[in-house]
Order: sequence, then structure tokens, then C-alpha cells
Amino acid sequence: MHIDYWQEIKHDSFGRAGLVLISLIVVLAILAPLLTSYQPHEYTGSAFSPPSGQHLLGTNDVGQDIWTQLLFGARTSLIVGCGAAVLALLISVLVGCTAALFGGVYDRLIMRLVDAMIVIPPVIVVILVAAYLRPNMLLMILLLAAFLWPGGARVIRAQTLSLKERMHVSAARTFGAGWPHLLVHHIIPDLGPVLAATLIADARRAIFMEAGLSFLGISDPSVISWGKMMQHALRFSYLDVWKWWLLPPGFALSLLISTLAFLGFSLEKALNPRLRKGVGHAGH
Amino acid sequence: MYKFFKQILVLGVIFSLTVLAAGCGEQEKPQGEHSTETDIYTVADATGDWGYPSPYAHYSRGPGYVRMSFIFDTLVWKDDQGYVPALAESWEYLEDENAYTFKLRNDVSWHDGEKFTPQDVEFTFNYIKEHPYQWVDSGIVERVEVVDDSTVKVLLSKPYAPFMDNVACTLPVLPEHIWKDVRDPEQFQEEKAVIGTGPFKLVDYNKAQGTYLYEAYENYYLGEPKIKQLKFVKVSEEMAASALKQKQVDAASIPPELAEDIKKEGFNILESPSDWNAKLMINHQKPPFNDKRLRQALAYAIDREQIVSTCLRGYGLAGSPGFLPPDSPWYNQDIEQYRHKPAKAEELLESLGYTKKDNFYQKDGKVLEIELLFPGNSTSPGEREAEMIKQQLEAVGIKVNLRSLEAKTLDNLVNEWKFELALSGHGGIGGDPDFLSRSIIGQGFNSARYTENESLVSLLKEQQQEINEEKRKEIIAEIQKLYAEDVPALTIYYPTWYWACNDKTDLFYTRMGIAIGVPIPLNKLAFVK
Repeated sequence: MHIDYWQEIKHDSFGRAGLVLISLIVVLAILAPLLTSYQPHEYTGSAFSPPSGQHLLGTNDVGQDIWTQLLFGARTSLIVGCGAAVLALLISVLVGCTAALFGGVYDRLIMRLVDAMIVIPPVIVVILVAAYLRPNMLLMILLLAAFLWPGGARVIRAQTLSLKERMHVSAARTFGAGWPHLLVHHIIPDLGPVLAATLIADARRAIFMEAGLSFLGISDPSVISWGKMMQHALRFSYLDVWKWWLLPPGFALSLLISTLAFLGFSLEKALNPRLRKGVGHAGH
Repeated sequence: MYKFFKQILVLGVIFSLTVLAAGCGEQEKPQGEHSTETDIYTVADATGDWGYPSPYAHYSRGPGYVRMSFIFDTLVWKDDQGYVPALAESWEYLEDENAYTFKLRNDVSWHDGEKFTPQDVEFTFNYIKEHPYQWVDSGIVERVEVVDDSTVKVLLSKPYAPFMDNVACTLPVLPEHIWKDVRDPEQFQEEKAVIGTGPFKLVDYNKAQGTYLYEAYENYYLGEPKIKQLKFVKVSEEMAASALKQKQVDAASIPPELAEDIKKEGFNILESPSDWNAKLMINHQKPPFNDKRLRQALAYAIDREQIVSTCLRGYGLAGSPGFLPPDSPWYNQDIEQYRHKPAKAEELLESLGYTKKDNFYQKDGKVLEIELLFPGNSTSPGEREAEMIKQQLEAVGIKVNLRSLEAKTLDNLVNEWKFELALSGHGGIGGDPDFLSRSIIGQGFNSARYTENESLVSLLKEQQQEINEEKRKEIIAEIQKLYAEDVPALTIYYPTWYWACNDKTDLFYTRMGIAIGVPIPLNKLAFVK
């Protein structure tokens, strides 16, 4: 597998669009305080004012600036998305790789556990947990990661099963390498692109679930989130405000999710030779 | 042979199709009969389920009582002017005996056809002694005597000024022949549990959908109701206006912003009096809230005017720390008003030994941190108010954590004292001022249950027994003063609500509220005459 994935993504139009958009969103989220003159929770005094020079996207029912909330909402989405995805990936790698390397009863047990986990509907469990614990951002990341890892674990196990039969892995094993060594020096480096794809898919699901949960009112009330903005905006759907209050977070969320989907597509194309147009890059 | 089978098959198919068609025809017929839409009156409700509408099973809030009141009657009822006869034609207070006599109607029958008798009234008063009915204090009635077959005499154990509103207009009279065997009235939720004397009979109640369907009781003693079917459906408040315009519902509570708009469409708009209050419940049994200076600090730190102007966008009145709204005839303005003074709040906190460090007050190394519960699925009061209170308290130096809960869970936690601060609210404050004793020393999640101040408790008991209105007014004024000083709970605002209805019938707000003061314009009399 001598493919320069970076080049692959750069030359793919989906990949390029994804890269540009994701960097744009990240930059907007990081620079949020510089791009607005309001605080996200600040009451500016005029409720329901339409978009103007003063308020780019108008204000909501209590006079908070919607543009500011949109920018800060991006931070929440990105933090929850990345946090949950990274955590889920770590669990997936640990579980998937060990299951593939050890095999036997351990493998079967773990994989049945994964099957069971995949069946559980995450939203209902999170609602139940949130009823007992106070939902905050860290809890949200932990909960989402707890439901995201099984899918990745399966993919990684399958990939590891094929990798461990490779010559260099067998060679290392013959020389007496233990499983941690195999994992760190031989398997994980070769898993690279699969890991990236899993990470992106997990992030996409986490962001969507976070928005959905906060839309249902399950979130830290003091954290601004796109889902919650939509929830509040829906209460005033009888006024004209939905145009500048409901649509922007909806668009932002769709954009972020499709951006991640684009990146995922182009990565998949790079990984799967059958999806590639020609084999022009194969020799690099 | 083959042809024969084929013929039989064809015949069979034709036969079964005919049967099917006939079956369909039969099913369609009753639907056609029901489609006389003009007699159905539909009311939209944002919450939907308020419990099974029997006296003991409905959810203990105003809308639950209203749903029950269509089925059950009280001795006396109220309309927009004042008391009107219901089961009792006339009544009289006998001062020397401290008793009320009620002359009952003779032409009343229960929904199952049994005749209504004075024994039913006697039975009801005895029944609530054994099985307390949460809206009526059964301790005030000593006993009930049946004088003759149309008169009962209710002897009170002590003078009780709010008797007419809080007992005669509130207590639903139960049929003895059904309820005499009922041991567990809360669990008694069957067809027989909703047999009353009221203008409507329950046809269907769906807990999951939050719908109620009533049908007129043609033998109602005030005449057959003009509305043949009364329906409650669950419609969110933001959809209510379009449901009205599309004639899907006949009456609904609507968002204030739309009142003008709906009025232009030809609907009647009813503006509520200040009979409901959003209240900050304070757990005054738990340190540090058990010190009244801390509660006073909270009152100074929370800017109620700003909450009204921002969260309600002006549709309401800022709360009076004395509980009663400024437009009440019992209002006392000479009380501590707790105008927004952050400096005063800080002063009070410092007098309690707190010191400010990194923007927040601390004592013994512990930051003053408060958890504020709010109902997540309600708009008023809800998340917006909670966020604003958090900002206002944190500006003074009190750290606040917000927690969103479902309204019924929140009521339960408040009831069990498992909270620190909670946003809640209740009606009844436009009713008899005895709501003060119910909401200050009474039981239940709407009450502050504050008995620490002995003079407040004795004044609350005294006003109940004071029949002279002028003297009672003085006592009520004093109660407001003491209540404001101790801040067992803090009224944040009185919202202004808008109801819209079409001209099928004229809804009205009941004078001093339905029963003990429910500020909902769904008085059953509006559907009868």
C-alpha cells in the first residue's frame, strides 16, 4: 500500500471542498470572539430585531445576538464531535486490535458485546442517563463515545485480521515481539487511513447526536449549541424570526456534517482501489 | 367439473366482496351522523394530559381541576360576576351557630340516573375527612347535618372566612352510592369514578395523547348544554393560532405577540388578570438558605423588572415580594420591595461571613454555589428566566448551576425538599386571599411550607377566622409585610396571558378564579347557557 493519501484527497474535488470548508469552520469557531462585538449570553436589549448592520442575523426572543451564538455554537459542535470521536477511536483500536490479535474466546466475547452495543438505541439511553445526572459537556462526550466505539471496533478488527497475516508482522512475531509491540509498531501505522475514516465517521455522528440531544433539551443549559438554538427558534415559528434564527443553525449543522461526509468519501476513494479513477497515482 | 369449481370460486369472491362492502357501509354510517361539526367545541391545550378527570385522580393543578369540574358540581359556583347557585339553590350563614345552611335543588340526578340527595353532600364531607381532598381543608368542617330532604347544615369547627370560595365553590360533591366502597380514591379510575351531576359526561380520556372528550348530559339541571361535545386536544402554543385560523380548534391560549393579529381575524381575545405567578422556590430548610439574610440577598440580586421586560417581552407585571399582585384589592404597598440593588445583596452576604474571591463569594474555602432547577419543557417560567437569574446572581458573586427537569419531576423534588432553588409557579392568587395560608404554610409543592415565623403563622390562621372584611384586610396587609421580610419564596412575575376564542360561545374569566382561583377562562357555565 504505497499510496500518498494526502495527495489523493488533495486531487479529489470532494476532498478539496471538504478540506476548505472544515478549515473555514474551525477558523470561524476559533476566532469567534474577534468576529463579533457581543457576548453569546449578552442581552442586547432588543428582542426579535431583524438582521441589520448591528446584528448580522438579528436577535432572538430575549435579545441575544444570533450571529454570535452561531459562532460559539460551532465551538460546542466541534469540541463534542472531536472529543467523542477521539475517545471512541481509542476504545475501538484497543478493543478491535486486541480481539483480532488474541482471537479465541476473548474475540468471540468481545464481538458479541459489540453486537449487543450496536443494537442499543443511544438517544434513549442518553435521555435516561441525563435524567439522573446533570448533563454537561464532558458527560456528553463520554456518553457519545460509549455508543460510538462498537462500529469502529468491528472495522478495525477486520482490518487487523488481514494485517496480522502480512509477512512483516509474521516476521516480527517470529522474533518474539509481544502484542503491544506489534500493535504500536506494525499494526497501527498500517491502519492509518482506516483510523482516519473511522474518526471522521464518528465525529459526524457525534456532532449530529449532540445537536439532536440538545434539540430535545438534553444538554448543559449554559452551553450554546446549534441544536438548542433550533429548539428555541421553533417555539416562535409563528413569527418571521425563523428565517434568521432557525435556518442559520440548521444550515451550519448540515454544512459541517456534509463537510465531514465529503472528507470521508474522498478518504474512502483513496482506500478502496476499485473506487479510484484509473491508477495514475499508484506508482508514486 | 373444472368449470363448476370456477363458478363456485367466482360466486364466493362476489359474495365476500358484497359482505365486505356492506361491512364498510355500516361503519361509515355512524361517522356520517357524527359529522355535525357545529356542536363540537374543541379546546387546544399545550400540555395535554392533566390526569384522569375524577376528583382524586386529576393532576393537582388548575387545568386538572377544570377538566374534572365539567363532570362534578359543587354546592355553589362562580361566574364573571360572583357566586351563582349550583347544587344549592340558596345558602345562608348562621353566625351564632357558625354554620352554613344550603337549600339543595330537588331536580338533580347523577349521570347514571340515580337521584341526587342531601345524603350525598353529607357523605362527601365525611369522605374528605378520611381521604383528604387536596384542594379543600377538611379540618374546618366539624359535621354535616341533613335537616330535611332538601336542606343540609354544615357546622364549622371555627370561623372560616373563605368558606364560600374555598369549600362551597371548590368541593366536588360525590355520589354516595358509588364512592362509599372506594378505599383508594387515587387509584379509582374507571367509568364509575366519573359519574357526577355536571353538564358533561366523560366519553374518552387518552393519557398518551392528552385528549379528553366529553358529551353533554341532557338532564343537566340548568338545562341541556348548548355544546353537545366538548373536546380537549393537545396543540402546542405556537401552533394554536394557526389551528384557530384553520377552524381546527375553537379556543386556545395564544402567544401574546399574536393577540393583535388574531383579533383582526375576528376572534375574541381575553386578557388574563394577574392571577398566576412565577415563583422562585427556596429551600429554606437547608443551609445556607435557612438564614433569611441570604434569601434577602437573593431578592436584592434578582432584577424582576428586567426579567419581565426581557423574558416576557413586557407581557406581565414584576412580582411583589408580598406575594399579592398590585392589582389585587388586598395588595399592600408598604412592604420591603427589594428593588434591584446588587450592592445591598453584597452587603448582606458579607454580613453572613462570605468573602469575595475570584468574582465569587466564599466561606471556609467553599464557593457559594447554588443549583437552580427549572422546568425544561415549559416556556414560562423556563430556561430563559433561569439563564437570566443565573446571570444576575453571578454578577453579584453567587455561582449558579442550572438544571433542566421535566415539570412533574421538578414538582416532586420540590415536594420532597430535594432542591436548592427552583423555578415554578401557580395560580390561585386572584382567589380568596386565603391562598396565602395555602401557599405559605400549606402542604404541597406550590407552598413555601414556611412555619419558622410564628407571628406569620398565627396571622395566617387569624385571617381565616376574621369574618369582618376591613379587619381581615389589615391582617392580610401585615402578612404581606412579614412574608416580604422573610422571603420564604420569591414571586418573580405575574404573566399576562391571552386566550382567543370564536363566537360559538363566550368564554370568560371567572371572578376570583374558578374554585380556589384557577385563572383559566374555561368556566363550565360558558358551555351551558
